[in-house]
Amino acid sequence: MKKSIVLVALLSLMTLGNKVSAQSISGAGATFPEPFYNAAFASYERAAHAKVTYGGIGSGGGIRSLKDKIVDFGASDAFLTNQELREMPAPIVHIPTCSGAVVVAYNLPGVKQIKLTPTVLASIFLGQIRNWNHPALRKLNPGVRFPNKEITVVHRSDGSGTTNMFTDYLTKVNKVWHSKVGAGKTVNWPVGVGAKGNPGVAGAIHQTQGSIGYIGSEYAFAQREPSALIQNKAGKFIKATVASTSAAGKGKIPADTRVMLTNSSAPTAYPIAGFTWLIIYKDQAYNNRSFAQAQATLKLIDWMVSRNAQALAVKTNYAPLPAGVAARAKAILRTVTYKGKRILK
Amino acid sequence: MNSDKILKRVLFFSSLVIVLIAAAMVFSLFEGSLPSISKFGWRFLISDQWDPTQGSENYGALLFIVGTILTSVLALVIAIPLAFCTSLFVAEYFRGTKLASIVGTLVDLLAGIPSIIYGLWGFYILCPLVVEAGLSPQGFGVFTSALILAIMIVPYATSLSNTTIAMVPNDLKEAAYALGATRLEVIRTVILPNARSGMTASYILAFGRAIGETLAVTMLIGNENAIPHGLFSTGNTMASVIANQFGEASGLQLSALIELALLLFVITTIINAIGKYIIKKIG
Amino acid sequence: MDNIINIGKTAGLLSSIGYRKAKNNIFKILVMVFSFLTISMVFLIIGTLLVKGYKQINLAFFTQVAPDTFTAMMATANGEIIPGGIANGILGSIYLVLIASVIAIPMGIVIGVYLSENSKKKYACVIRDIADIMQGVPSIVIGIIAYIWVVVPLTKGYSVLAGGVALAIMMLPLIVRSTEESLKMVPDTLKEAAIALGTPYYKVIWRVLIPTSFSGLISGILLAVSRVLGETAPLMLTTLGNPDVNWNIAKPGSAVPLLIWQFYNDPNMVNLIWSSTIFLMGFVLILNLISKWIGAKRK
Repeated sequence: MKKSIVLVALLSLMTLGNKVSAQSISGAGATFPEPFYNAAFASYERAAHAKVTYGGIGSGGGIRSLKDKIVDFGASDAFLTNQELREMPAPIVHIPTCSGAVVVAYNLPGVKQIKLTPTVLASIFLGQIRNWNHPALRKLNPGVRFPNKEITVVHRSDGSGTTNMFTDYLTKVNKVWHSKVGAGKTVNWPVGVGAKGNPGVAGAIHQTQGSIGYIGSEYAFAQREPSALIQNKAGKFIKATVASTSAAGKGKIPADTRVMLTNSSAPTAYPIAGFTWLIIYKDQAYNNRSFAQAQATLKLIDWMVSRNAQALAVKTNYAPLPAGVAARAKAILRTVTYKGKRILK
Repeated sequence: MNSDKILKRVLFFSSLVIVLIAAAMVFSLFEGSLPSISKFGWRFLISDQWDPTQGSENYGALLFIVGTILTSVLALVIAIPLAFCTSLFVAEYFRGTKLASIVGTLVDLLAGIPSIIYGLWGFYILCPLVVEAGLSPQGFGVFTSALILAIMIVPYATSLSNTTIAMVPNDLKEAAYALGATRLEVIRTVILPNARSGMTASYILAFGRAIGETLAVTMLIGNENAIPHGLFSTGNTMASVIANQFGEASGLQLSALIELALLLFVITTIINAIGKYIIKKIG
Repeated sequence: MDNIINIGKTAGLLSSIGYRKAKNNIFKILVMVFSFLTISMVFLIIGTLLVKGYKQINLAFFTQVAPDTFTAMMATANGEIIPGGIANGILGSIYLVLIASVIAIPMGIVIGVYLSENSKKKYACVIRDIADIMQGVPSIVIGIIAYIWVVVPLTKGYSVLAGGVALAIMMLPLIVRSTEESLKMVPDTLKEAAIALGTPYYKVIWRVLIPTSFSGLISGILLAVSRVLGETAPLMLTTLGNPDVNWNIAKPGSAVPLLIWQFYNDPNMVNLIWSSTIFLMGFVLILNLISKWIGAKRK
């Protein structure tokens, strides 16, 4: 008897839950834009009454979830390689939502500001420069008094788009890195300790004097961690800010937006920056999805690249899409179909 | 066909459910591991490569097996004196007193504290202490994880020990006292020989617990894919690498992670079976 | 007799009594110190939580959903207390445990009854062994199982159901064994008397066995619930988390341990970690103690 009461209660709860939510959209993936996405989705829910659930499980997880067709959209900081695109069950499109940067944070008490060239940065992460007292560092930073302290390199232990952006940059600017380590969401690190997620890395840096590591900018800006100025392609030492990150996206980009913005040639650009994308199937009629579901998904993403949502990106420390890229994203969205018919007008 | 028979059948068939679940678990894990098993075979167990780079994917479990064994053995070494003394306190020195039941309850509470809370405590309290002591530059590592693991497994090591110590026949103890033995001598010569196998079994079961512990270790071990070369160096365990990479993995990497889970399943099952076998022998 | 002589020999009764007494006392002090060390951990952990988290606890903390990062960031920047709470996690956890209980408790009790009724059979021993082995399976492995069984084929995505199934698999062996143990405590005379009166077998179980061991069953269930309430690893692979309260069983849901994990991973939410941890810890420990208290009352 009691059991049946519980069952009835449960069933009624479930039906209740279904009645309340008009349209429920689920997505999963990158943790890097999660603060922006959470703020944007919450705001969208308040305005348009479509429920959005987003799980920050990492870019690789986002791609896999879309591949398994268990989400309406995936999110990734790394665009899918041609091979990955071929492995997907159906064609997909990339929609950039904002750009972010990877900052190089360090823990040296009393040292306010350091400058790094691409070569020195790569040497530290290759384990070739092992002490803060190294002549190369002293030469770059004449005013700074470096301690005689071993460098502890901190990197990510989980697969991540942040790692992909950082190693992509090092691969572009350093031959040794290119041949020894390469780029990817997870790589085999020559030195250092791993920590899970941005907070793991930030926490490890925070607790360890003499450490250096890379962190997603959204995190670094919020925590006000000291970060290094990195020399860009134009030879200028640039601090990571919303403006210098946005500047990296102003160059030429391909039609499908699949491009890494690292090592940008724009004179004011911070060199370790990149887009983050939402990925969806080009034809939305899969897994018996209703047209309404497909439409709700597209409307949401269309709103994500609108001016209102982009303003939220700035508020949460991300760089907004340059106007040209936002227009490109809207155009891509209008190629998405349901059983061959266009969804958005 | 009367109601008694029907009921007996129902009971019997429902008991099959648990067999089915267990069999299906093994099957699903095995099925998920197949791509990895067919590609790497036995090399998976002895290779220390864990390379997810596209195009040169190569996976081996050795790093994580070593990391798991190291942290768990160290945890057991730390936990045994704690558990041993606590058991004597509860089941011998203060047997039957209010104090013993309070201590016993508190130790049981240790088993109730969720893994994530141990992890947080280790991350925010223990790591800085390890750094302060100059033992490791960032506080993570085998030692830190093992210390927290040790506390986590003490309850499992004591629960059975308490029973076996309490079960030692009183007349044997009385005889030793009558001969003028001190309490320590009674413990050494009467209680230990009689309770030894039960205590061993409880330590084995506790060891099995340590091997599968996930979140606390993930937060504290440093997640470095390398064989730890010392007490204070970082590493990775089978459970922590699964927690780190499962959400991100796909294809062969996912399969390799599921194979790690299968391995974890097999190892913990063997350890628990040994523990159970010893308990059965005692009766 | 031989035993006693052996004891006399090996106990080293030949060394001086003063030295032996000193050793004895030192050992007793050691035992006290180590026991104290062990239990002090409970106080250390709870103390840490209270000291760090008491500021964040207020009524809103239990009635509002978790804030988004942006809100938390603004509050932190202005030196205010972060608004919002963990209502979505609390309801999500309760929902998960309910689902797990609906699956695991009836099944567990029935299997427990079977084991206690046929305890001598070889087959029952096998079942018992399997239940014990299942208890020892690491929770992360069970998370993977629920991912393979539910997330991919059934709910086509992370879901409350998948988390419920994972927790149910963890609860089942605990309930089977605790049921069996409490049924064993029922005196055989009771059962035999009922059977002698010609009571049908199902009535014997339903009217005699279950009621007399009822408190034992409840205590076992509470303990099982308190064990799965704090599980995080399997939920990371199954329910994922949800910023809102969600009653749809096929969609991702939240849970208190998942929120704690999220706060730990988000720079702006660090201050919410401790209060949610206090809540989880309190919940788990109270269930634990109630279960112990019910169990003790029976004896």
